[in-house]
Amino acid sequence: MGLVQHEIEAAGFSTISLSVIPELTASAGAPRVAAIEHPFGMTLGRPGDAAGQLAVLRAALQAMEEIVEPRGVVHLPFEWTSTEKLALGPPAQPPIAQYLVRHPWALPRFLSRTPPLNGD
Amino acid sequence: MVAKSVDSYRFLHGIEKKVLKRWANLPQETNIPWTPLAKPLSMCTVSLVSSAALALRIDEPFNPEIERRDPWFADPSYRVLPRTVRTGDVQVCHLHINPAFAEQDLNSVLPVERLNELAERGEIGAAAPSHYSYMGYTLRPERLLRESVPGILRQLRQENVDVVVLVPV
Repeated sequence: MGLVQHEIEAAGFSTISLSVIPELTASAGAPRVAAIEHPFGMTLGRPGDAAGQLAVLRAALQAMEEIVEPRGVVHLPFEWTSTEKLALGPPAQPPIAQYLVRHPWALPRFLSRTPPLNGD
Repeated sequence: MVAKSVDSYRFLHGIEKKVLKRWANLPQETNIPWTPLAKPLSMCTVSLVSSAALALRIDEPFNPEIERRDPWFADPSYRVLPRTVRTGDVQVCHLHINPAFAEQDLNSVLPVERLNELAERGEIGAAAPSHYSYMGYTLRPERLLRESVPGILRQLRQENVDVVVLVPV
């Protein structure tokens, strides 16, 4: 996401990412990040929690006004207090996970994000 | 009062946690573009971008076979979602998240209705007519950047957008 944000900002739009993995988003060159400690798939909040979602979106937009130089990260104050066990993973193992089980020697490539050049 | 410090890895475990930590510590992009906010938010037109691979049900879905054939890559196309879009109109095609939450309430990942509310309250100038989504996981982003991002930029300009809020998944 950081890469796409990078391109949109460079084209003359003011951008912010609302990210549950802010370290990763920031490392890819995001100019502004609003960090939020919410589970994957529920960045804005729980399904049906309109008030919570509105508060998060409003806070992300306010962070946009607060950040005055590139690489700014604002940590939003929302706490995820529920201890309920959530199924956060996908219904089926993603293709790359299945691939790495069959091709364990490709793991260093995956960890360093240097995919083989063929394909697409 | 101690300020909140977000733990990027709280909801991750095992190998996934290790991988994302490793990625976050790879050499960082140092050349960061900057477009200052030119006017108050109450005068800005705002658009949303989601990497959850959201497609209108009446539109062509993202193709998961591309990633199944080549797990280092993903469908590099993008979809446009109008600001009138609602939960039942959208299919979640991302292969790395549980799509159940967004399928119950689109606003959990793409807060279209919340953005419309902020516009009605006058906290932002307007919600842009269009929002955008692409398939976020790919280790080869070149085609996404070359083939899809220019189309998104063109439409952002046509719709006089000032601010873009991106929601990665």
